[in-house]
Amino acid sequence: MQRRYRTIKDLKINESAKAIAFEDSNLACKLTSMGVLPGTRIEMIRTSPFGSAYYVKADGVRLALREEEAASILLEV
Amino acid sequence: MHGDGDSHILKIALIGNPNSGKSTVFNQMTGLRQRTGNFPGVTVEVKEGSLLFPNGQEAVLYDFPGTYSLYPTSSDEKVVASVLCNPSDPFFPDAILYVADVTKLEKHLLLFTQLLDLHLPMALALNMSDSAAALGIKVNVQKLAETFGVPVVSISGRTGHNTMRLILEIEKMVKLDSPIHRKPFYTFSEAEKQVTEAVRHNLSIDNPYRALLTAHHASWLPFLKNAEKDTLAAINDTKKFQSLRAQVDETLDRYDHFTPLAQAAVNAPPAFPNTITDRIDAVLTHRWGGPIFFLLIMLLVFQAIFDWSTYPMDWIENSFAALGAFITEKMPPTWYTELLTDGVLAGLGGILVFIPQIALLFFLISILEEIGYMSRVVFMFDKTMRRFGMNGRSMISLISGTACAVPAIMSSRTIGNWQERLITILVTPFISCSARIPVYLVLIGLAVPAVKIAGIFSLQSLVFGAMYLLGVLTAFLAGWAMKRWLNRREHSFLAIELPVYRMPHWKNVLLNVRENVWAFITGAGKIILYVSVALWALSRFGPGNSIEQAETTARLEAAQKGTDSTATEDLVQQRKLEASWAGQAGKWMEPAIRPLGYDWKIGIGLLTSFAAREVFTGTLAVLYHMGDQEADINARTETQAKATLREKMKGEKHSDNGRPVYTLATALSLLVFYALAMQCFSTLAVVKRETGSWKWAALQFFVMSILAYLAAWAVYTAFS
Repeated sequence: MQRRYRTIKDLKINESAKAIAFEDSNLACKLTSMGVLPGTRIEMIRTSPFGSAYYVKADGVRLALREEEAASILLEV
Repeated sequence: MHGDGDSHILKIALIGNPNSGKSTVFNQMTGLRQRTGNFPGVTVEVKEGSLLFPNGQEAVLYDFPGTYSLYPTSSDEKVVASVLCNPSDPFFPDAILYVADVTKLEKHLLLFTQLLDLHLPMALALNMSDSAAALGIKVNVQKLAETFGVPVVSISGRTGHNTMRLILEIEKMVKLDSPIHRKPFYTFSEAEKQVTEAVRHNLSIDNPYRALLTAHHASWLPFLKNAEKDTLAAINDTKKFQSLRAQVDETLDRYDHFTPLAQAAVNAPPAFPNTITDRIDAVLTHRWGGPIFFLLIMLLVFQAIFDWSTYPMDWIENSFAALGAFITEKMPPTWYTELLTDGVLAGLGGILVFIPQIALLFFLISILEEIGYMSRVVFMFDKTMRRFGMNGRSMISLISGTACAVPAIMSSRTIGNWQERLITILVTPFISCSARIPVYLVLIGLAVPAVKIAGIFSLQSLVFGAMYLLGVLTAFLAGWAMKRWLNRREHSFLAIELPVYRMPHWKNVLLNVRENVWAFITGAGKIILYVSVALWALSRFGPGNSIEQAETTARLEAAQKGTDSTATEDLVQQRKLEASWAGQAGKWMEPAIRPLGYDWKIGIGLLTSFAAREVFTGTLAVLYHMGDQEADINARTETQAKATLREKMKGEKHSDNGRPVYTLATALSLLVFYALAMQCFSTLAVVKRETGSWKWAALQFFVMSILAYLAAWAVYTAFS
C-alpha cells in the first residue's frame, strides 16, 4: 500500500522528515508563527513520560507537541 | 503629537518572542526603577520601568508579554495585539523596541516584520550577542539596519553589553518627529485589500495593517463597540474573508520575504551539534528519570519552605515580641498602647513573618523558570493534567500556588483554552499556600503527638505532608468534576517551545522575588493589618457598658473563690472578651459551627480569617490573650511562643458542657477546614479580574466553603 504522506506520529525516535502541510488551520497558524513551516525538517526526539506528547526538533527549535497536534502535521514519505 | 497635552511622557513598548530574553533586557535597562500593576484595578498587566536618556529626558518602558505573532492564541498574547490595535489605549506606545534572539533570528523576525507594517518608530535589539559569539554566529548589523530601515544594535541582556548604545539609539529615534514612511513589508492579497479598504473607511483607521488586524480580531478586541463589531462582521461576511486561511498565508509570505534577507546578514556555522541541552534533556525529560527528578525538586522546594525558612521567621517573630514588650514597658498602659502592640504590631508581625517563606518559594520557582525547566514540566505532565480538565501549562500555576495563589492564578494567562484556564484558576487555591503553614503548625503541634513512626518519620511531619496531599488531591478531583460539568469543546494547544537551558540570570530572579514580595506586602499585607486592628477594637470594646459590667462580676466571682491575682486577671480578660463585640459575634455563630466541634472563639478566628487565612493564629493569640502580660517575652523563642498558644488552647473548655475544646477531632476538623476553605480576599479579587466576572469568584467561594464545612464535619464525626 502506498501512502502519499505520513505524520510525526509515524516517526521513529531520531528519525526525521520534511513537513509538507498542516491539516488543522488553527494549529497551522500557531506552528507557522513558531517557525515550523512547510519544508521544515522535523526530528523525533522522544515521547513524554506518560505518553501522548512528543519532544521534537524543528530546524533547531525544540518543541513539545500533543499527539493530535503531531498527527496534523503532514510529512513527506 | 499624541494629544495627551504637555505632560506627555514618551511610551516605549518592549516586544519580542517568548524566550527572546526580553525581560532580561528590561531589567538591564530599568533596574530597580520598575513596578507592576499586580493587584486589582489594573486591567492589563504590563510591567513598566523608567528609562533615562543621557539628555535628561525620561521615558516609560512597557514590558509586554512575549508573543510569536500578532495573531494570538492565548490571553497574554492577546494583550499585545489589542494594545497595538487601539491608539487610544493608555499603553499604546510612541515607539517600539523589538528584542530578537540573534541565535534564532530567522524565527524571531516574523513578529518584527508585522510590527514594521504598523509604521511606528522602531528599533531592533539583537539580544544574546554573547551566545552568538560562542556559537560562531556573525551578524552584519549595518546590513540589517539598511534592509529594514530601522536602527539595529547588537546587545547582551545578561552581560549588559551595549545597553547604553541601545538607549542612545532610542533617544535619537524618538527625537525624529516626522511621520514614518515605510514601504509595506507585506503586500496584501486582493481579498485583504478589499477588507482593509472597507475597514479603514468605516472605522476611520489610518494604518492599513492595523485595519487588517482589526478585521481579523473583530470578535474579541475588547475596545470595539458593539456597532463596530457588527460593521466588521458584516464586512468580513460580504467580502467572504477567511481569517484563519489569510493569517497562515500572510505568515508564510512574510517568511518567504524575510528569510533570504536574514540569511544575507547572518553568517552561522552549519547545523546545530548535539548540545548540552540535548544531553540534559535526555535525563530530565526521560520516561522514568524525568518524573523522578521532578519529585526530587519538589521535595527540595518543600524542604526549603518548611525548614530553611524557620530561621529568619524565628528572628522576625522574636524581634516583634521584643519590640512589643519594650513598648508595653515604656508607654503608659492605656488603650493606644494596646492598639499599638496588640493591633498594629501584631498585624505587622503577622505580615512580615511570611516574607522569608514567600521570598524563598519565589526564589526557587523563578530559578526553575529562568533555567527553562518549567516548560519541560509542562511537556511531561500535559497528559496527566488534561485528564483533570487542565493543560500542561497548569502545572506552573499549581506549583506557584504553593507560594501564593495570586501570582499563580495570573500565570494561567499562557493557557489558550478558556475552559482549561478557568479550571486552573478555580482549583489553584486548593493547593496549600504559604499562608496556611502557620495555621497547620499550631494545630498539628496541638493535636498530633510528637512521636516517630518506624524510628524515622515524625508523625507530625507526616500529617503536615498529608495536608498538602489533601489539597493536591482535592484540586485534581475538582478539576475532573468541572471538566465533566463544563464539557466545552474548544481548541486546546500544547505546542510549546522548550528553550535552551541557561544559567539563571540572578538579577531577573531577585527582581522577580522583590516584585512578588512587594505585591504580598501591599496586597494581602494591608488586609492583614486592617483586620488585626479591627479585631483588636472589636475584642476591646462592647455594646454599652457591658465590658465594665463583665469586669465587675468577674472580680466579684474571683474574690468569692479567693483565686490568686494571675488567675483573677485571666478570668477578667476572659469575661471581658465574651462581652465584647467579637465575643457576641462568636456566640451568635456558635450553633452553626458546633457540629464541627468549634466554640465561639474558633468562630471568631474563622470569621476573621475569611479575609486572609494567616489571620487565624494572630486572632487566637489575641483571643487567648497572650503577649502583653505573659512574663519575659524577650527570652521566648518562636517554638515557645507557639507552645504557649498551644497550652492556652489545650486548657480551653466548652462553656456549656465543660469538655475540652481542642480534642484530636476538633484539631483535625480545623486542619481540614483550613486546607479546603476559600479564605483570601486577594485571591477572590484576582479570580474576578482574570475571569472577568464575580460569578466565578462567587462560585469558587461558596463551593470551597461548603466543601470545607462538610469535610470538617465528616472528620470531626469520624474522630469524636
